Amino acid sequence: MSAELGAARPGRREAWAASRRAFRTAMRLGWQTEANWTDPLLFFIYSVAKPVGAAAILIFMVDIISGGRADPAIRSFVVIGSALWSFVVAGIAGLAWSVLDDRERYRMLKYLYVSPNPILLLLLGRGAARIGIGAFGAGITLVIGVVLLGLPFDPLAVDWPLAMVSMALGLVSILSIGLFLAATVMQTRQDSWSYPEAVAGGLFLLVGAVFPLLVLPAPIQAIGLVTPLTWWLEGVRGALFPGALSGIGGEGSLYATLAGRAEPSSAEIVLALVASTAVVSVLGLLFFRWSERRAKEKGLLDQVTGS
Amino acid sequence: MSAFVFRHSESPEQAARWDRRRSLATQLRSVYGRAYPRIIGARREPSWLLFEILLPFLTTSAFVFVYRALDAPAEFIGFVVLGGAMTAFWLNILWMMAAQLYWERDQGNLELYFTAPISMMSILFGMAIGGLFMSGTRAAVVLIVGATLYDVVFAVEQWLLLLAVFFLTMAALYGLGMVLASFFLLSGREAWHLSQGLQEPVYFVSGLNFPVARLGMLGAVAIATIPLAVGLDAMRQLAFVGSEHADGVLPAWMEALILVGMAALFIGLARWMLGQIERLARVEGKLTVKGT
Repeated sequence: MSAELGAARPGRREAWAASRRAFRTAMRLGWQTEANWTDPLLFFIYSVAKPVGAAAILIFMVDIISGGRADPAIRSFVVIGSALWSFVVAGIAGLAWSVLDDRERYRMLKYLYVSPNPILLLLLGRGAARIGIGAFGAGITLVIGVVLLGLPFDPLAVDWPLAMVSMALGLVSILSIGLFLAATVMQTRQDSWSYPEAVAGGLFLLVGAVFPLLVLPAPIQAIGLVTPLTWWLEGVRGALFPGALSGIGGEGSLYATLAGRAEPSSAEIVLALVASTAVVSVLGLLFFRWSERRAKEKGLLDQVTGS
Repeated sequence: MSAFVFRHSESPEQAARWDRRRSLATQLRSVYGRAYPRIIGARREPSWLLFEILLPFLTTSAFVFVYRALDAPAEFIGFVVLGGAMTAFWLNILWMMAAQLYWERDQGNLELYFTAPISMMSILFGMAIGGLFMSGTRAAVVLIVGATLYDVVFAVEQWLLLLAVFFLTMAALYGLGMVLASFFLLSGREAWHLSQGLQEPVYFVSGLNFPVARLGMLGAVAIATIPLAVGLDAMRQLAFVGSEHADGVLPAWMEALILVGMAALFIGLARWMLGQIERLARVEGKLTVKGT
């Protein structure tokens, strides 16, 4: 019998309060693990170095090819996509690294499993903390883009409802993909530290984060169109920077061929995002439950590996 | 005479009182022993083929499509493929060399290394060889598949110099990895974060997807300090001869000389630093205390 079942059953309200407390504690632990190793200045540099470095590579690529006369729309497209990608890298890695950290480094995973709190809640809390750090990097990259590169940002022109809905659904889909990765690394060895980043790198191509999907072959565009991150990027990009290039549509794109119009509307974006997020979330949850069962049966929760 | 009689000695190697031949054989066995789990581990965990080869190849492909979206000259696609192949080695340096001693401490292996009659250089050399197997495979796949899929045309005139530059880059990179391993061990909990922070910024200043010369002074500083930047710049010049876009900061032969200097400097520095941390571990007994 599991610790959760064996414990005295609390009422619904108490259970809710306990879940919130567990989530908050996990989030705080995640934040402390990530942030309390240094002073705030060094942590700030560390948090922004990765996303700003990634954006700088792309900005230079654009500038070198254009001879310094890059189309502002293309430059904006690259900067926004690169900035938002910080959420993906941080969110996907957060859950998977929590499993690896707690199993391989701190050797706490087995204790977390026998504690009365659902492991999923604890992992989501840890993942949320990393998303917070990713948001920090994304924000700084966007600020650099607006202040130094002249990204056309007008708070009064922003479609705030679309931005908030897209962002919320996007974060759910990122955490769901993170759940897939957490389930995967539960089955693999210690060297899986690089797996989340590899998956984020693969998705970077499929969702057209920094270039319009239409440059990809049609079958790959199709994969991109069923991925929630594609719609999330389109929603947030279009909401924050109205008039920005569409990553999904465009003349000759698969979307334009199938839908008969150049670009998706806001309602279409939200609908596609809801549907694809729902599918990914359910699949992520099922895969995680399967992985948990297998890990318990095979004794993988306290397995430590070397390399 | 009993093996347990106390004898004052500077190191376990000295205490072992082995002749030169036996000592050398033990060092070689240590190199083999430390490389073994990495090579065998890769065979036993087939998932790395997907996560360490196929998916990173997709990341490289993303940059190829950025250039295609911009209608860039064909050589730039080649620069991305070459850069994508070289990232495998840099990631290997960061995660499987630099951060490794820090993790070995957490796993409890570090004190075993310090008490065994072997040199830490042998351990790190074994790690490097084992890591080279995985990163070399990944780099080869990115290079071969990338070049085939994206029609990259290499124009090489000096194969020997190109090969020499590649191996010198490896020597300098893994020497730097050994230096970082000591540095990360001394810096405690920051190893994890330092590895993270040294990825994209180093890719950028090394001119991973574009000629580093375009970065001006920043590129020149990178050429003087980062083996990845020098090696990539020289290989780009040697692999795309005649391209007006493959302009280097310095001529390739001069960059090869810089790599010789870097390899000697980093390996020498690594040897000194490893000696220091061994001494610190024995005299102060602090290095093997877990930091987490």
